[in-house]
Amino acid sequence: MAIRESECTKAVNNAPCIKNSDCFFILRYEHLRPCLTIGVSNYLTMQRRDALKALALLTGGAVLVPSCDFMKEDILAAYRNLQVTPSLQKLLAAIADTIIPAGTIKGAADISVQDFILVMVNDCMKEEQQKVFMQGLSAFNDYSKKAGGKSFAKLTPEQKSAVVLAGFDIKNEPAENENEKQKLTRENEDAVRECLQITKRFTIQGFMMSQYIQTEIKPYQLIPGEYQGAVLVSDIKKEIIHG
Amino acid sequence: MANLNIDAEKERTFQAIVIGSGMSGSWAAKELCEHGVKTLVLERGRDVKHLKDYPTTSMLPYEFEHRGQIPEAVQRENPIVSRCYAFREDAAHFFVKDNEHPYIQEKPFDWIRGYQVGGKSLLWARQVQRWSDFDFTGPARDGFAVDWPIRYKDIASWYSHVEKFAGVSGNKDGLPNLPDGEFLPGFELNIVEKYFQEQQKKNYGDTRPMILARCAHITGNLEYYAQQGRAKCQSRNLCQRGCPFGGYFSANASTLPWAEKTGNMTLRTHAIVHSIIYDEAKGKATGVHVIDANTKEMEEYYADVIFLNAAALNTNLILLNSTSNRFPEGLGNDNGLLGKFVAFHNYRAGVSAEYEGHMEYTTQGGRPTSGYFPRFRNLLKQETDFLRGYAAGFSARRYTSADQDGIGLMLKENILNPSKLSNWMVGSHMMGETIPKESNYVALSKEEKDQYGMPLLKVNVDYDGNDEKMVKDYLEQMTEMFDRAGFKNIRTRDDHRAPGLDIHEMGGARMGRDPKTSLLNKDHQLHACENVYVTDGACMTSTSTQNPSLTYMAFAARAAHHAMKNSTNF
Repeated sequence: MAIRESECTKAVNNAPCIKNSDCFFILRYEHLRPCLTIGVSNYLTMQRRDALKALALLTGGAVLVPSCDFMKEDILAAYRNLQVTPSLQKLLAAIADTIIPAGTIKGAADISVQDFILVMVNDCMKEEQQKVFMQGLSAFNDYSKKAGGKSFAKLTPEQKSAVVLAGFDIKNEPAENENEKQKLTRENEDAVRECLQITKRFTIQGFMMSQYIQTEIKPYQLIPGEYQGAVLVSDIKKEIIHG
Repeated sequence: MANLNIDAEKERTFQAIVIGSGMSGSWAAKELCEHGVKTLVLERGRDVKHLKDYPTTSMLPYEFEHRGQIPEAVQRENPIVSRCYAFREDAAHFFVKDNEHPYIQEKPFDWIRGYQVGGKSLLWARQVQRWSDFDFTGPARDGFAVDWPIRYKDIASWYSHVEKFAGVSGNKDGLPNLPDGEFLPGFELNIVEKYFQEQQKKNYGDTRPMILARCAHITGNLEYYAQQGRAKCQSRNLCQRGCPFGGYFSANASTLPWAEKTGNMTLRTHAIVHSIIYDEAKGKATGVHVIDANTKEMEEYYADVIFLNAAALNTNLILLNSTSNRFPEGLGNDNGLLGKFVAFHNYRAGVSAEYEGHMEYTTQGGRPTSGYFPRFRNLLKQETDFLRGYAAGFSARRYTSADQDGIGLMLKENILNPSKLSNWMVGSHMMGETIPKESNYVALSKEEKDQYGMPLLKVNVDYDGNDEKMVKDYLEQMTEMFDRAGFKNIRTRDDHRAPGLDIHEMGGARMGRDPKTSLLNKDHQLHACENVYVTDGACMTSTSTQNPSLTYMAFAARAAHHAMKNSTNF
């Protein structure tokens, strides 16, 4: 049981999941995540796979990760450093899609940029940044209700844009004689701002460096052509791609 | 049983053994095999076959899970290799991870290694500048280390030999301190690099030329390289993944398949050389002890001649670990200097700036090289308060970026059509010569061993006052040159990186004329054990400023021919 306990503990960040009889189980196979079959990614993937395999052995075959957070919702096992529920993932997709919406061509949510964002936050950010990101994402609907009057999903696209744009400008000074609740709200809103900044950065990267963009919209050239050291800028004709 | 043993020994007996399959070892193997010598090549890592074992070579950026970035957890577990510029998601599988081969840093030293067939030749920066007598006579003229036992004339034809086969592109610049070679057409310097070249001439006459760096890429003579199955460089700039065209020189694409084709090469992978066997009665080395990396069992292989090309520090480790009654302190180490006088290249400093001229121009396409400053400091005579000098890289480029303000369809359209063209950004980095000193050394730990039972290597290598003065001078001189060329917003940096990250560690078994003060003779043989040749970085008496691989290759080819000429059994 040692393996299960330690893996599970890691997966859900010290929540008392083993003893929680309310735990749900979800199926989130590691191999659904796009990954390399080589090198470092393989190494990481193998670690996760081994962990999940160990879980599978102990749970009679199903690869499961129990939910242990207070919302009693499932935790997405692929992002073991984060406590992401499917509804937070959906919220993240909506924010990313507000940053890069569908138009003439697909938008962020159409190509699941939210999954890339979660991979990057989970794998490539430091623990403190991960915490701020999750704090901001978890507090985002409260912020949305305050700034836009409704939870994010219930807003119109225009309202969503206004709420996200305002989120980048959040700047709260501590009130005089700030009480605990005010302090928490302020810290949550600061986290919302930082979460939005992280989300925007990875939305742009994930969108531009997606299979969709790199194969269908602006095919990536592995062979860039021979070097030319003096090209007139005025001679470079580029077709405008409409978003 | 007796016969079986004899057969088994026969099977493990070759005419030559080459330890290491990388830059220099593959050249020794190629020369030996090509001339009919039955050669065993020992490689401690796995096999990497050209094309077949380059899993990332044709991957598009989106196919990398983290778009090239190394995940945080991997960086945490591998702080040393993570500092290497090329340790990215596309080439991480060709680097040794920190815990795979631990060593002891008595002083900070980032030891970057590639344990696989081809070694670091898959990963190198492919810059190939010749040495001249300004380099070979350096220690004698300036009074440090010991005199090199060879001069440019001894190695010139071997430079030509390896340049021709490897494929080197460059321009004939006619510089006495950076001799011309067998060059394929050079890549183009861009308009601002050419402008700077002219400014240098205007401001400094012929004393500080900036030229196109010579690089090991095929740009012509295509039929000749087709014999090796290699084709023209496509300027992909993805070399570290292994090249599907064989456009740059690597052991995997060039020398090793060539050696294999002769039928004379036996390649044994996962073979960690423990030590070289010395036979006191015969007064020479007779073979090597090898640890199988998988089974951890010890085996012996035998040969008349042994080439040690394990990469500089591992070559030192093997020699130090090859103890016998005759050589209690390591093979050939009668003078106690083995492992000492290690040196490297100082890459700490850089200068960048902007140029607002030629704004109507930009560049297109890719280029696997850049501009290069051959050493100009203390070249003709000692003129500063520090010894020797530095070479430097130079390049200019413009960046295209997108306005990333706001959100929504406007942002989307902006990032799909990046339209902001930067000023010309110019940059340079230094490659400084460091002075070999007895106090910069590697030695074996008496207590700690690795997972194969090999003693850990202790590394004790550091900068000194000479290096500090040189960094200061480089920053001052480059700033002055940039300023006189009209570059603006000049910024200098000294990142204080640890030695090792230059991946140009050298010395420990230096060449010299006198067995009392050197380990190797002019033909790369151990003075005290002449059938052992060392032609990798370990043999270097001084470092000069050029990227060293070309010189190792030429040394290896030259030494292989020396061995063939002098062995009675070939």
